[in-house]
Amino acid sequence: MPAAETAEHLSVARSEVKRACHLLEGASPASLEASSSALERAVSGVTDCRRGIRPGQADAHLAARVRQLRAELRHAGRLLESAADFYRGWERILGTMSGGYTAGGDPAPVARTGKLYCQG
Amino acid sequence: MSNILSSLISAAGALDAFTQALDVTQNNVANAQTPGYANQTQLLTAMQFDPAEGSTGGVSAGEVVSSRDQYAEQAVRQQNVLLGQAQQNVTSFTSLQSLFDISGNSGIPYALNNLFTSFSAWGQTPTSTNAQQAVIDSATDLANAFQQTATGLAQAAQNNSSQIDQTVVQINQLAGQLAGYNSQAMSDATPDPGLDAQINSTLQQLSQYVNFTASQQSNGSVTVLVNGQVPLVIGDKAYALQDQPVTPDPASPNPNAPPTMSILASDGADITSQVTSGQLGALVNLANNVFPQYLGDGNNAGDLNTMAKQFADCVNQALTQGNISDGPPPVDGVPLFTYDTTNATNVAQTLAVDPSVTAGQLAAISPGPPEVSNGVPLALSALADPQSSGDEINGASFTEFYGSMAAAIGNGLNVANNSLQVQQSALAQAQNLRQQVSGVSLDAEAAVLLQFQQAYEANSKLITILDQLSEDTINMLTATS
Repeated sequence: MPAAETAEHLSVARSEVKRACHLLEGASPASLEASSSALERAVSGVTDCRRGIRPGQADAHLAARVRQLRAELRHAGRLLESAADFYRGWERILGTMSGGYTAGGDPAPVARTGKLYCQG
Repeated sequence: MSNILSSLISAAGALDAFTQALDVTQNNVANAQTPGYANQTQLLTAMQFDPAEGSTGGVSAGEVVSSRDQYAEQAVRQQNVLLGQAQQNVTSFTSLQSLFDISGNSGIPYALNNLFTSFSAWGQTPTSTNAQQAVIDSATDLANAFQQTATGLAQAAQNNSSQIDQTVVQINQLAGQLAGYNSQAMSDATPDPGLDAQINSTLQQLSQYVNFTASQQSNGSVTVLVNGQVPLVIGDKAYALQDQPVTPDPASPNPNAPPTMSILASDGADITSQVTSGQLGALVNLANNVFPQYLGDGNNAGDLNTMAKQFADCVNQALTQGNISDGPPPVDGVPLFTYDTTNATNVAQTLAVDPSVTAGQLAAISPGPPEVSNGVPLALSALADPQSSGDEINGASFTEFYGSMAAAIGNGLNVANNSLQVQQSALAQAQNLRQQVSGVSLDAEAAVLLQFQQAYEANSKLITILDQLSEDTINMLTATS
């Protein structure tokens, strides 16, 4: 695979991770689902990029760009965790508001009986 | 008869309380689609039960509070406090980086390189007055570079202390405002949305400066605790923080070292360790960890002083062990550098070339045996690439040691810049989350949580896969480089 094509796959992966970061900022379940799709495309991009790397190939420039990808991934991971922290905390409050506390003193789990959740 | 009456009063009170709770619930249902509306909760307060005293027990209706608003606001403030910390770190490290030139075109590395060059030139013409004068001139430049860097750092540390003063004043002013709002809230019969907005706005401002938790009380006031532990505002009272320079223990190795900073609660207790983030957290970290690393503290001389002292001692030792002339009788060399020998944390700021030393007093002859006419300048020029541990500083050459100091500052700035970028996103996210949770019914929230959980798991797995893939890719690309 030509070096330019390898770099292009990496560029695609990076732009998809950046897109995922933007979607994670929105933090709604819908935008989180969309960010999953972006991250899947990023996985494809990195996988394609790896196919273009010969074993033992030394390419400091490409390595630097992969490191930048990792920094962007940390950004995405941080946003995902902060959204998760928010929802976990809110779930505890919601559980307490709707079901009180368990015998162990923990917030009651959020009751979802009778709910149908469809995912396309 | 009185017992029956008491029971009736208690039952009537409870019914009244539950009626109010039902009203709140109906209000929530009616406003489920109203933009910006947050579900509210009726607090029910247990009443004292003591028949002998006529206290009938039961429950009474407390204040209506919005749990969701409080939670979402706190989440935004948590991100804001980290943003305030990142912003301060970027500002401070940017300023510090300007003191540590790594281009080699100015400052300590430039002067150090010139001095090594002049040692080398002197080695080629050991009796040349011009070559000796060039060494003195280059040594003077290096001493000035150390002084300038140390003075710049000391000035930056002083500015940092002033900023801590100003930040503490800002925090206390905002705490005072909140106490005033609390006073109004406690005297209002019904919750005032305008006052509530002012309280939230003030808490938002406060979150830029220091980490805290805020909880709404049933009387309408908000309690603010630094790091969830130290009272800052309770009811209509503000508990002012203070900042205090801490000079080293007189019995410590460096009693005259620059002071560190403490933050004190209103009762005088040291709460420095509780101030972990926000602008104040960043400033305190700089004062107590970053500046002492370079300028020293009660126990350590600081990297800049250690380097200045060790370099000056190496040069002076080589010169004083050499001879100006081999006699007879041989004339001993004299030291070139001077510095404050009474304070290990003041070496870099006082490093100078002894003004009484003339070019002719620089000793070039290494007495040996065997005697080497240019042995001293050769040994001095070898300091650029040390061959023995005695010419090294913590296992590194002087140039490398300086590079590690500059790299630490550069790395600090890099981390701060990355953190700033991430925190800006995280704050935007928290604001979006606040917007999303307001105006949604409880049932809808339960469904949202389920959706989120599934999306979270998918995203989390993908990020883990990508992280592993990218790490493997880096290893592939750097394995032979």
